[in-house]
Amino acid sequence: MAGFIARRLLQGFAVLVLVATVVFILGRLTGNPADLMLPEDATGEDRQHLIEALGLDGSLFAQYVAFISSALRGDLGTSLRMRQPAVEIFFSRLPNTLAIIPWALLFAMAVGIPLGVVAAINRGRLLDRAAGTIAVLGIATPSFWLGIVLIFLFSVELGWLPSGRMGGPEHYVLPVITLGAFLTAGFMRLTRSSMLEVLDSEYVKLARIKGLSENVVIWKHCLRNALIPVLTLWGVFVGNLITGAIVTETVFAWPGVGRLTYEAVIYRDFPLLQAVIILKAILILCINLCVDILYAYVDPRIRLT
Amino acid sequence: MRSTPWLCILVIATMVFMAVFAPLLAPHSPIDQTLRDKLLPPFWLEGGSFKYVLGTDAFGRDILSRLIYGARISLLVALLALTAGGGVGLVVGIVAGYLGGVIESILMRLVDAAFTFPAILFALLLAVTLGQGLGTLVIAISLLLWASFARVIRGEVLALKQRDFVALAKVRGCSEPRIMLTHILPNVLNTFMVLVTLNIGVVVIAEASLSFLGAGIPPPTPTWGLMVSEGRGRIGDAWWVSLIPGLAITALVLSVNVCGDWLRDRLDPRLRQL
Amino acid sequence: MEVVRRVGASLLVVLLAVVHSAAAAAQQPTGTLVFAVESLAAQTLDPMLEGRPGNAVYQAAMYDSLVGFDLAKGGIGPGVAERWVMAEDGLSWVFHLRPGQTFHNGDPLTAHDVKFSLERQMSPKSLAAAAASMRRSIESIEVVDELTVRVNTKEPQLGLPATLSRAVAPEGTIMPKRYFESVGEDEFRKKPIGSGPWKFVRSVPGDRIEFEAVGHSHWRGRPYFKYLYILQIPEESTRVAMVRTGEAAIASISPETVLGAGRGGLEVLTVPGTMQAVFQFYGTWRPSVKGDPITRPRVRQALSLAIDREQIIEHVMAGKAQMPRPFATFGFTENLSIDRWKKWSGDAYRYDPVLAKKILAEEGYPDGFVLKFANVALPGTQFMISIGTAIADMWTKVGIKVNMRHYEWGAFPPMQMGDQPNLTGWASMFRTAGRPDAPWRYNSAFAPDSTERLLGDKEDCQETCGRFLDIYTAVINERDPVKRTELNDSLVQLIAESWIVVPIIEGMGYYAVNKKMVGEFAAIPGRHELGDVFERIPHPDQKPWKN
Repeated sequence: MAGFIARRLLQGFAVLVLVATVVFILGRLTGNPADLMLPEDATGEDRQHLIEALGLDGSLFAQYVAFISSALRGDLGTSLRMRQPAVEIFFSRLPNTLAIIPWALLFAMAVGIPLGVVAAINRGRLLDRAAGTIAVLGIATPSFWLGIVLIFLFSVELGWLPSGRMGGPEHYVLPVITLGAFLTAGFMRLTRSSMLEVLDSEYVKLARIKGLSENVVIWKHCLRNALIPVLTLWGVFVGNLITGAIVTETVFAWPGVGRLTYEAVIYRDFPLLQAVIILKAILILCINLCVDILYAYVDPRIRLT
Repeated sequence: MRSTPWLCILVIATMVFMAVFAPLLAPHSPIDQTLRDKLLPPFWLEGGSFKYVLGTDAFGRDILSRLIYGARISLLVALLALTAGGGVGLVVGIVAGYLGGVIESILMRLVDAAFTFPAILFALLLAVTLGQGLGTLVIAISLLLWASFARVIRGEVLALKQRDFVALAKVRGCSEPRIMLTHILPNVLNTFMVLVTLNIGVVVIAEASLSFLGAGIPPPTPTWGLMVSEGRGRIGDAWWVSLIPGLAITALVLSVNVCGDWLRDRLDPRLRQL
Repeated sequence: MEVVRRVGASLLVVLLAVVHSAAAAAQQPTGTLVFAVESLAAQTLDPMLEGRPGNAVYQAAMYDSLVGFDLAKGGIGPGVAERWVMAEDGLSWVFHLRPGQTFHNGDPLTAHDVKFSLERQMSPKSLAAAAASMRRSIESIEVVDELTVRVNTKEPQLGLPATLSRAVAPEGTIMPKRYFESVGEDEFRKKPIGSGPWKFVRSVPGDRIEFEAVGHSHWRGRPYFKYLYILQIPEESTRVAMVRTGEAAIASISPETVLGAGRGGLEVLTVPGTMQAVFQFYGTWRPSVKGDPITRPRVRQALSLAIDREQIIEHVMAGKAQMPRPFATFGFTENLSIDRWKKWSGDAYRYDPVLAKKILAEEGYPDGFVLKFANVALPGTQFMISIGTAIADMWTKVGIKVNMRHYEWGAFPPMQMGDQPNLTGWASMFRTAGRPDAPWRYNSAFAPDSTERLLGDKEDCQETCGRFLDIYTAVINERDPVKRTELNDSLVQLIAESWIVVPIIEGMGYYAVNKKMVGEFAAIPGRHELGDVFERIPHPDQKPWKN
């Protein structure tokens, strides 16, 4: 087991270095933040001066070496725009994104799992198709559009909920729905397929022979076992959500890391961009590692890979 | 019991038809502006007319014509991105799965890296570096797709290579490339096709999100994502500008997914795990 | 009798005291003013760290600037300094400060603070946009006495006061010397204090900045509201939704949502003269494009005549824009024959597609030609893209084949470097901010050593370029206002008749206002943001909207 974990850690580190290099190169390719910080009528001299002030002079290779060596010491640079350590900025915004993820997952589960059960029980019939359609609606609707329509309906027209920003519980409702809608189909599909397998299995037949009511059979026995693979979806989805909440955060003005990443790209804030990508990668790799360890613990065959 | 989803097939067929025959079907040019005719409602509302059946946008462009041409772009992007991204993913998956060892390790680490890198961000960076356009969009979305294709195909190949016919081919002395091409490939095509259908929706939505973030195909080219994005400030008054292309996106993705599910059920019940 | 008079007098005193304190109580700031913007950019309260002037709106709440605004016209006016005089030899300016100003911690504002602030803005570590040009032009700064500062310049700098006003850049922001020196830079950035009518409460990165009104009167006006929150809401429809529900009182919007906001029952406030949208031609003087259609001034003029600006104003800008004056000139531009140029542009920038086609034919292009056109917009100014799209279509209608390429703003400036290979022979959308000093802007577009170099560069400065240099040099050395106006006029004429930079519309700043949450107020012309306006925004019962 220890060997397995060590191997995974090493591989994770290799991935990190790869990601760091890619983001470094790609970032520099996008241009120079100095151009976005100067007004239209700045002179070439002003620009050169600003570039030096930002520490962007020097060869690309020298900058890369400096970047990697300080990264290894835990210093991921200072944001060019906000003049604060990039790591600090990331961790000040991360809780905002993390606050909303569990709720989105719970929402998706609350809608997706029952739909999956209904679909499995009624396999091949209309209800199966209907449940599937409802779940897929979540994927099929562009999330920014869903968010804007929800704001228009529930905030402007009905006045029930606020239009955006972080705040009390009422501020969470619309962003959670928007973010969670996307995941519903995944939960529904997985629940359906694992329910179908379980429904056919031996011990369920035994439970039926024992004379237990159908409801008890389904909800007590099948669902519990069907849910094991569903939990692994959490691992996949959390990763997706951390990286993909840009659109929802923009629409609802949620000060999280998704929006931070977008701004880092637009303003060519290289240190911040590098820091955000690397830290997110670390987060996701950790989550994946935990899921893998969990799996390996359960299934010894996987330890050999 | 598993009845054919006729509605979905009809929707998809209509959209393909629109895409192919766009110049013949569209009543107006999709990019010609008539500023005076801007923001006219669809024909069934007051102020609408049959001249602009589904109304006009902020530049006075006919929504129906833009919708029809937009089908072309959306499907073109989907086709190109799925071919490129799916193709790369297919090859990587087969090679990694079959050859194993160091090659598999390296390739799978690349796949991991691709997963940790936020896809939309990659697309943004590309748009900003290479400039917005069809090519950039296709590259960006392909990069989004290849990793998930690779991972699933590799899983399939891992199972496949234990099978007898592969052992037989090895015994007969077939070279590795030959085995991969003639034995493995045909057997993963089912999975590949299902993945393709499942991901059409992803591509369409990705294009819409990128247009929203300002990294998609720039105006005046009509894409459904751009149309939704352009109209989003006017949901209160000129809702048709955003809603109609939004419905088109939803309808297409929905149909593709339901058909894809049906296809998957039919082709191989084992694939339910996807 | 005496008793009666005494009692009466005391009663009067008591009455006056009661009335006075009642009035004072009525004037206490109350309530919270919530303002939603698209971006807080760097969100730094250290003026030295904010490069782009427009983003400093939130700094304007808590800091004063050495030179202020003419609130009615929009150019410069008294600020921290009440008046300023140029020395006889032209090599220095003396600023006389307003007495009685204090910082938020009670320290008095003196000439030492002015010297400290200006030097800090000019220092090598400063990211201020004009830091380099300040270093180029300013020789030294002296404290003459507690309320007088002398700024010595290397050469006569007629435009110096304007550069120290927020009308142009935040370089004139006054920071507290004693406080800064006692707490150090890091602490100053975390707990900044200034001398403005609002004091800093807290800043939540990526979300909001909060201010509280100061407890005494201020020359800029005592705020009516107790708190000012500036919120960052990137998505425009969300901003508008917040104003409609009352979560925000004012939100910045763009032309696209002006109509919808109005229909939603909101007041739309426009700030005139904040910018010009223009299109310009790059590298027309380079040998590599000799013979190209865009090298001919009449062709460029035809392209201007092909544009229906009224249509763009009405349909793309929802009626909220104006016909432009010549490049970089506005109603508040100094030392310019405003009326003459307004008349000229009314005729020159008319819509005449028939004449346009005729000119094209006369110049040898009866069937049009291929025009390469770069569409680009500053983040947050999506309407520029819409304008670019609209004029491309208008050009198509007179027979031009437009080859439009789309550039994201960050990708554009590098292309202006060096020999401009990707831009030579291209037309491009561009913009200029509303400033009172036209020659400065002309310099950065047309001087041979500027970034844009639209007329020529140091090795290749031909006729128009040479004439520009002559007039410009004369302008910056001319101290007599009448002669200066004449020279400015000829500068404007040179460029206007060359059609190298063609204005399309004069834009405005747009705000959606919830009339139930704030009373009527006016913005400062030419000033894109509402900094310097917040303190003058009343409650609705104090000054209701007139309709």
